[in-house]
Amino acid sequence: MGDIEKLAGSVASLQASFEEHRYICSDEIATAVFLAYQLRKPILIEGPPGVGKTELAKTAAEMFALPLIRLQCYEGLDESKAIYEWKYGKQLLYTQVLKEALNEVLGDAKGFRESVQALHNFGDIFFSEEFLEPRPLMKALKEEDGCILLIDEIDKADHEFESLLLEILSDFQLSIPEIGTIKAAAEPPSVFLTSNNTREISDALKRRCLHLYIPFPDVDIEQRIIGARVPEIPPALQKQLVAFIHELRNLDLKKMPAISETIDWARTLVLLHAEALDPQMVKDTLNVILKFQEDIDNVKSEVPALTAKVSN
Amino acid sequence: MGMDRTISNFIRALRNADVRVSTAETLDAISAVELVGYSDKEHLKRSLSMVLPKTADEKVAFDACFDQFFRFQDVRGESTNNGEDNGEQEGEESGEGGDGEGGGAGGDPQTQNRSKKKSKSKAKKNNLYEEEEEADLGPGEVTDAHSPLGKLLMANSRVELAQSMAEAGEATNVREIQIFTQKGLYARRIMDHMGLADLNREISDLRTDSRVPARRLGQQLKQRRDFLREQVRDYVEQQFMLNADVSGKRLREEMLRSVKLSNIEHRNFRLIQEMVYKMAKKLSTLHSRRRKIFKRGQLNVPKTLRNNMSYDGAIFDLYWKSVKVDRPKVFAICDVSGSVANYARFMLMFLYSMDEVMPKVRSFALSSDLAEVTELFNRNKLEDAIAKTLHDYSGGSTDYGQALLDFKKLCLDDVDNRTTIIILGDARNNHGEAHAEVLKELYDRSKRIIWLNPEAKLAWNTGDSEMRKYGAYSHQVEECNSLMHLERVVSNLLRQTG
Repeated sequence: MGDIEKLAGSVASLQASFEEHRYICSDEIATAVFLAYQLRKPILIEGPPGVGKTELAKTAAEMFALPLIRLQCYEGLDESKAIYEWKYGKQLLYTQVLKEALNEVLGDAKGFRESVQALHNFGDIFFSEEFLEPRPLMKALKEEDGCILLIDEIDKADHEFESLLLEILSDFQLSIPEIGTIKAAAEPPSVFLTSNNTREISDALKRRCLHLYIPFPDVDIEQRIIGARVPEIPPALQKQLVAFIHELRNLDLKKMPAISETIDWARTLVLLHAEALDPQMVKDTLNVILKFQEDIDNVKSEVPALTAKVSN
Repeated sequence: MGMDRTISNFIRALRNADVRVSTAETLDAISAVELVGYSDKEHLKRSLSMVLPKTADEKVAFDACFDQFFRFQDVRGESTNNGEDNGEQEGEESGEGGDGEGGGAGGDPQTQNRSKKKSKSKAKKNNLYEEEEEADLGPGEVTDAHSPLGKLLMANSRVELAQSMAEAGEATNVREIQIFTQKGLYARRIMDHMGLADLNREISDLRTDSRVPARRLGQQLKQRRDFLREQVRDYVEQQFMLNADVSGKRLREEMLRSVKLSNIEHRNFRLIQEMVYKMAKKLSTLHSRRRKIFKRGQLNVPKTLRNNMSYDGAIFDLYWKSVKVDRPKVFAICDVSGSVANYARFMLMFLYSMDEVMPKVRSFALSSDLAEVTELFNRNKLEDAIAKTLHDYSGGSTDYGQALLDFKKLCLDDVDNRTTIIILGDARNNHGEAHAEVLKELYDRSKRIIWLNPEAKLAWNTGDSEMRKYGAYSHQVEECNSLMHLERVVSNLLRQTG
């Protein structure tokens, strides 16, 4: 535990440690993780796809040496998938098996009232934790030494699902009607939520979280990211490639190339033994960074000009 | 304590700038400040920007507000701030010139602006006059001040001075300050209330006094008066940030609401868009998701077990669950022909915003015939989409009959009892065939047809307008040429379904 405290003790140490784990983060990102740890608050991360939202949670787990529990959201996700489910098969099987034993339980109870009393004493074992199948949210609460809980793409889940999250986000606990309230272990989970902003997240949820917006990085940071992720890249290529991507982001495209695309492109070009950008090679590999044929067609004619511009 | 007060004042300023901050977030902000402190301003800003603003718009407002607020906090600590002289100061200078104009400026910012302009020339004259004044007399013996404000200034009591300023602020209702052009006015009113007139008279009397200590008093009073003026200005600035409509947004919104859509200036586009956005959002909440039990989908185990308990634990009846998502289907048709050219931009803007808020909107533009612009809207930004639509489709004269036939051919199969059709247009058909029977067919199949007509109700059914025919087959017909109308349309909508 001491390690985590030391790491999360200052923004600078966090930033350095993230960098050791090959995640280059801006001051904003490091501050968010710092505050989240110090204030014990969940972080809601928004931003365009591919800027490293999910990666941040993964790297944090790696860095703090904590287990990562991930809940991928989708339309129709409900509590039986996210929180808990009764083990119906087991319940069913046990009822059949225990039917024989029922007489023993009832013993020599006389009359209806006594029988019911005897059954009451038998307890609600069928709805006890033995028969509970924990899903990610509950698993996260039960991790003794804490964990990183990643609730990915919350905007894909239904509106109602957000309300399910409120209790765990603000109080680190869950209420199950049959059992009662389940509280987090000594060390509550660190929660990361990500959203691609396909719809507005409700105010109630936002209020409970720190809000971090990760934009596309500036040239300097993106170069460092490429350097960390694709260390074998020649320096000249690294510089030109990032400059080229930044030029592309200024164009009117259907989908902008994100950091993940920059990294893929860098890897591709390294495989092709490129030392610097040349127009033909850029044209041939455009499909790595642009995901729509329309965009590729539009950019193709600009490639010579753009390549010349970033080569200076 | 002092820290909490700074932060709660800052949050008040934020709320004024349209950033929503809850009590819980206020507490978070206080803990964040406790953690990071005030010394590293950038760090503080980054930290607070994660705790307080929660949307992109709010972050922009937050950044501006933070810079302004904490810059101001610094300036307040300095004692004097010479060399800087702005319009407000000059405005005051004229007021003290004694022509009584200052007091009469009133609350109207325009009058005030005019008076400010006039006063500039006078201020220059004043300066000329003052330049003739003798050189600084330096420290030495001074006589006692006579005017109440003069006494207060010479008493060297910051506390009393601040108190007097606050009282004057109270008396002049500085809390009611609304727009930034009023800052000079309120500063002057507060000075007046503190007894500026008497002080000025005393200063000008002293200037011609034969005794050196008296003249020295005059000079000192003048210096302290200027210092006081700075303080009053800061005080008003602070009150403005805490109480006023900092961005001027409420005022503009109020104005826009009642201005005809065609008259609204280009630069307010974004604001309108926001309002339209809000309304379109309201519209989309009409369509909810509901859960339905179906004979397919996932097995609903709890329900199955519960209901089969009576069969001795043997599974007999199966229950299924499936989520039925009720998505609104909206078809919007917008007339972009010459006769509604003035309104078309705004109709299209409404269309565009709707498209953004609701996932399944199909948009059409019509003039001589009808064309689908959904794809165009999806691909382009608002301004471009509107410009392109107008460019591509606004030629030709309207033919609603043909447009309805086109629409029928394109979409009739998709129109069902969950479909809303919104038609934006003046129903002026150039005496062509109306084909109201097509609208009837749509009327029968759809959930709702709304016709929004930009013309005033009186003009309906005059000339070539076919509003009567079309109105008969619409669920709702409304005049709509200002945002107020649009708002009314939306609230009527809610009433009907609620």
